[in-house]
Amino acid sequence: MAGPGIAAYLILSVLLFATGAFGVLIRRSPLIILLALEIMLNAGNLALIAFARHAGNGAGQIFALTVMVVAAAEAVVGLGLIVAVSRQRIELDVDRLNSLRG
Amino acid sequence: MINAAWIALFSPAAAVVLIALLGMRIRRFTAGLIAAGATLVSFVCSVIVFVTLLGEHPEERTHYSTLWTWLSAGSFKVGAQILVDPLSVFMMLVVSGVGFLILAYAVGYMHGDEQERRYHAYKALFVFSMLLLVQSGNLLLLLAGWGMVGLSSYLLINFWHFRATAVAAGKKAFIMNAFGDATFVLALFLLIQRTGSVDFRVVFKDGVLPHGGTIAVLVALGLLGGAVAKSAQVPLQTWLPDAMEGPTPVSALIHAATMVTAGVYLIARTNVLFELAPVIQHLAGVLGAITILLAGLIALVQTDIKRVIAYSTMSQIGYMFVGVGLGAYGAGLFHLMTHAFFKALLFMAAGIVIHALSDEQDIRRMGGLARALPRTYQAFIVGALALAAIPPFAGFFSKDAVLASAANAGTLGWILWGAGAVGAFLTALYTFRLLFIVFWGEMTPFAREHLHVRRFEGGLAMAWPVAVLAVLSTIGGFLQVPGAWAGVTDWIDPVAQSIEEASGTTFAFSLIVTLALSVTGILLAWRFWGRLSPVPERTRRRYPWAARTLEQKFYFDQAYDLVFYESSSRAGVLLTQYVEEPVFLRSLRDLGLGVRFAAGRLSTVQSGSVRAYALALGAGAAVIVLVFLLVS
Amino acid sequence: MSFLVWTVWVIAACSLLSSGIAVVLFSNPFFSALALIVNLASLAVLYLLLAAEFVAAAQVLVYAGAVVVMFLFVIAYLGGRADAPWAGGPTLQSIAAIGAAGAIAVEVVIVVALKAGDRLANVAAIPDGYGSPAFVGRLFLGPHLLAFEVTSIVLLIAAVGGVILGSSVPKESRS
Repeated sequence: MAGPGIAAYLILSVLLFATGAFGVLIRRSPLIILLALEIMLNAGNLALIAFARHAGNGAGQIFALTVMVVAAAEAVVGLGLIVAVSRQRIELDVDRLNSLRG
Repeated sequence: MINAAWIALFSPAAAVVLIALLGMRIRRFTAGLIAAGATLVSFVCSVIVFVTLLGEHPEERTHYSTLWTWLSAGSFKVGAQILVDPLSVFMMLVVSGVGFLILAYAVGYMHGDEQERRYHAYKALFVFSMLLLVQSGNLLLLLAGWGMVGLSSYLLINFWHFRATAVAAGKKAFIMNAFGDATFVLALFLLIQRTGSVDFRVVFKDGVLPHGGTIAVLVALGLLGGAVAKSAQVPLQTWLPDAMEGPTPVSALIHAATMVTAGVYLIARTNVLFELAPVIQHLAGVLGAITILLAGLIALVQTDIKRVIAYSTMSQIGYMFVGVGLGAYGAGLFHLMTHAFFKALLFMAAGIVIHALSDEQDIRRMGGLARALPRTYQAFIVGALALAAIPPFAGFFSKDAVLASAANAGTLGWILWGAGAVGAFLTALYTFRLLFIVFWGEMTPFAREHLHVRRFEGGLAMAWPVAVLAVLSTIGGFLQVPGAWAGVTDWIDPVAQSIEEASGTTFAFSLIVTLALSVTGILLAWRFWGRLSPVPERTRRRYPWAARTLEQKFYFDQAYDLVFYESSSRAGVLLTQYVEEPVFLRSLRDLGLGVRFAAGRLSTVQSGSVRAYALALGAGAAVIVLVFLLVS
Repeated sequence: MSFLVWTVWVIAACSLLSSGIAVVLFSNPFFSALALIVNLASLAVLYLLLAAEFVAAAQVLVYAGAVVVMFLFVIAYLGGRADAPWAGGPTLQSIAAIGAAGAIAVEVVIVVALKAGDRLANVAAIPDGYGSPAFVGRLFLGPHLLAFEVTSIVLLIAAVGGVILGSSVPKESRS
């Protein structure tokens, strides 16, 4: 295969993952945290696809599609939570959301 | 014939179940009849077995019978197995015969007691256990019987459970017996480890254990521990006098005629093992001799009619131990049999006296009862003469058989003979002291006030077993007459071949000396207590320490109290104070406080801040990857 | 050919990383979401280079088309309250976050570059039609049927959860 090898994709993947993780850890807005989470999941997906190519079978792609579905589900629930929180007129700041009360 | 042996074994057990199941539906008297009847069945079956064995060649009189495999663990198998051979039949006859007489006596003696049915059930249970002990065909089943006689003894000693002393006595008997059981079990473990079996046929085979080796010594020592505890020999003797708290027929059956002689039976049965360790066998004889002297001395100062007889029982079992310890199994077992007769007789006569005086047992409050209870007096005289070994009563032949065998057994034998001869003197002295104090002299005011004599002096039910035993005590000795025939020794010979047997001159010497000592004892007793004499009182005053030592039973109880109870309770207090409280209690408290403190500190970590959690997760992942990196 | 691939790869990689950083750093979530679209599109290009045609298509259609649009809807719904301005200087949390994320990145790069380099060199040959919809479909309805079915259940549950969370909460249960 001409072009960059699997290692290049993996390094790209981990850099993207670190970016996403950094975003999750440092941002306080739940919306941006969700977006950063999507980036982390996609970094994983990239690694999966690269490995699938390396192994020459389709299992990695199947896995990546499954992750994609899970990411979509997660986005639905996360966004639903954000909307519900904002309806309660609570500031959208995860540091403020530190206790559970019924 | 084997079927008869099985019936003999299980008929008392059936009586127990029957009495327990019928409960209140039967009269108390019926319960007594069931128990006594079942024992009679046992006796009849034993006689059948005995007669059958008589018809066989002496070398072919051993029969094993196994009902089923009772216990199996790998290659180790134990059957529910009985053994019929001359020794076990001999013991079956003694146990069921004397047992039947005593159970019949107990029907009258216990009449009117609160829980008579329970009593009779226990008694039948005891007979079953004792028969199991003597009939079992392997050591494990023997141990089961061994433990069960201990249990029934415990149940019967504190039968009057509302009396604190009776309960304490029961516990004491049980614990001291448990000690013996433990050494017995240890010996069994050792045997199983070495031979892989508890079957008599395997264990007693030649060359299974090396002669005189450590293993043989330890096995014999363990068995001796069991025998000493069960037979109330020094140093495990202190439970027997206290066991007199039980009803008198119990004392007669368990603590005179049968159970306490189980130790003698055990040594005779396992004579092969003991002969492998002569040191231990001789130790048995030495312990017996010490017991003869100690018990004889203590009996001189006892004031409780039953306790005097109890000490005499210990002392007489000492003779049996001397016999089997020196290898004179025939003589030892012969004494066991005659002792069962005359000691049961003495106890039952004492029981009649106790009944007649409204359950009073203190001999200082008795006196002059010969006129009030003439037949009891005669029975008591027969028993006392047999006990003091005066011819032609039974004790004479058996005790002299033991002593003559001892005299024949070298230096150690002579020492033991000396103890036995002194013991014979003491026996005569304390026996007739008891007789004179209780039956001679003037009636005390207490006796006059409380005396009430029933027809036949205690009722027919109590009178006839006493009469039968009196006859047996008189003629029982002729089973083995020196020089003429040796019924018991020959009968036992195929199972336990006697090492020592009396021979002409030593026999004559021993006989004359001991007889002279016995007669002297009786005369001295008459001199001191037969008529009012100041000598005993004066002696007591002159040697107060001696009297005190005897009255305190040589301080055995106190010593055990000090060594075992006091020391452990002190140690317990100290441990509580210096170990449990600082180490366990306080450490637990500190542990709790520490956990609570740490939890308090740690709870700040649980801030609820999602980002902090995520950071922990990410940092953790980073660290784990780092660790993998470093390790790989 | 190789040069062209390399060129595409480099452009896609730069676009991927810079858009990812942009997602994380924008203070306005609307821009972040837009940056995410770029990010996903770059990924799709990389998927194509890895011969994962169907996944690339799904990436664009499902992710960029559906998920991000949902994000944009929510951001629009929240309006100004969705803004997440940067406030204050570097905190302990942010320093540690940089440290942790950087450590993971560096460690994995070390693993990939130093420890596993040789093993990753031998890339398997792939059959014709690898990564095509038919290929993926055959896998999904064949050996991976269970994963396929479980995925549908996950989606169903997410849908139910979204409905429950999105429906108006009864008044009395508000705190």
